[in-house]
Amino acid sequence: MFAYQPALPIPNGKTCMWLFLSTEIMFFAGLIGTYIVLRFGSIAWPAPHDVHLSEPIGAFNTFVLICSSVTVVLALEAAKFNHTAKAKGYILLTFLLGSVFLGVKAYEYQQKFAHGIYPMKPHGLVYDKADVHYAAAVRKRLGELSTRITAAGAELTPDDQARMKVLDVLSKLVDDAEFAIRNNPDAPEEGRIKLMELAYLIYPPHDHNTVAHAAEAGAVPEGPAMQLVAFQQQKDAEESHDGGHAQGYNDKYPWLRLPIMIPGGPLWASTYFLLTGFHALHVLIGIIVFGLLLCVTIDRTRANFVENIGLYWHFVDLVWIFLFPLLYLF
Amino acid sequence: MSEFSHPHDHAQQDRHDSQDEINHGGIGKYLVVFVALCLLTMCSFVTYFDFWRHHVPYEVSRALMMAVSCTKAMLVIMFFMHLLWEANWKWVLTIPATFMSIFLMLMLVPDIGWRKDNGYARYSDDRLRYAADPPSVEAAEVEAAEHELSHDPTH
Repeated sequence: MFAYQPALPIPNGKTCMWLFLSTEIMFFAGLIGTYIVLRFGSIAWPAPHDVHLSEPIGAFNTFVLICSSVTVVLALEAAKFNHTAKAKGYILLTFLLGSVFLGVKAYEYQQKFAHGIYPMKPHGLVYDKADVHYAAAVRKRLGELSTRITAAGAELTPDDQARMKVLDVLSKLVDDAEFAIRNNPDAPEEGRIKLMELAYLIYPPHDHNTVAHAAEAGAVPEGPAMQLVAFQQQKDAEESHDGGHAQGYNDKYPWLRLPIMIPGGPLWASTYFLLTGFHALHVLIGIIVFGLLLCVTIDRTRANFVENIGLYWHFVDLVWIFLFPLLYLF
Repeated sequence: MSEFSHPHDHAQQDRHDSQDEINHGGIGKYLVVFVALCLLTMCSFVTYFDFWRHHVPYEVSRALMMAVSCTKAMLVIMFFMHLLWEANWKWVLTIPATFMSIFLMLMLVPDIGWRKDNGYARYSDDRLRYAADPPSVEAAEVEAAEHELSHDPTH
């Protein structure tokens, strides 16, 4: 005979937290699953350095979250034994570690934003391929810059004159490419090669694999000529290598902020910012709760609450355990 | 009164048992788990270095990383989230959620994951527009015709 069980043999708060976490498991499983199928169903995907993703920074953040998981579990132990000062100290540490994680994440986001890598327009500068739409976007930006400089007055300062020279060089390259496409509609290879050259001058890829993958994916037109151009561009970029990043026009002249070509870049940006953004939101909520917890005495009576927020925090750590290799190392 | 008439007593007993067990052993086990998590993270991170990339195929690295992540996840769930010491209620909440998440991922595979292998004809409009190598119209038409033929009952 079965006995009637009015509830699970745990406090109601803990039941609710576990129910919430089970929905969270499905939420993040959906997001991560979508990322995996998009990532492996995609014909081109940027290498981490092409999108200014730093693996050591990601590993550091993983370490920070693991430390914070330990401190929250130690806070729970201290609260159970009524060691209020100790418990508060551990919660404070957790709060600080969570803040460090968010600070590092903000720095990482800033690195991407500085290069025009946003999840969407109007700020996003990333194009999937160097086609006529890309050429049009470059031309539009060059026009805007030129108008801005000349609108300041008839007399150009030496700085402005130097800038106008750069704009002229780039405008010439766009003209050449578009001219080649217009005049040879039946054989557009030449124009595509010129557009690729332009795109690589503006934002060169950061390793050989990127060029090879771009060629495989069809972002680089087929044929040995284009392959040679791509690798030559790559070589030039490496010669001006600085601090692990190849220097393009956008790096040399940060005021340009021209559209850039990263095969698979727009899809990468959407998935990266969505996944890490939702995770960071969860971290932020955790930090707020820890901040509130710091305002009260954490004794034995609060142990259940500490356990519940601890469960939430461990889950946030759990999600990052999967996000780190998937986003940074795959 | 029968032994079944006091479910709360059992619940209370369960709670005490698990409480005792959690307190037993102190914080030492958490520190051991912490060290294990750090070492496992290093195992994943080692795939970042060039010497590893030059010697190990990326499929092996990816399998290793996922195995390491699953191990880390199990350590966190079992020790930090105390599921190792919880009573059987844990299965009620964790098993359905796990199944649902697996189904969620599997349901995405035919829609997105297989598109590459399905040929270009079944690309979505957006995907076609932004694809690095757009398919030719002829290829799409041929495949569509073949697809229609194979589903035509008169053939």
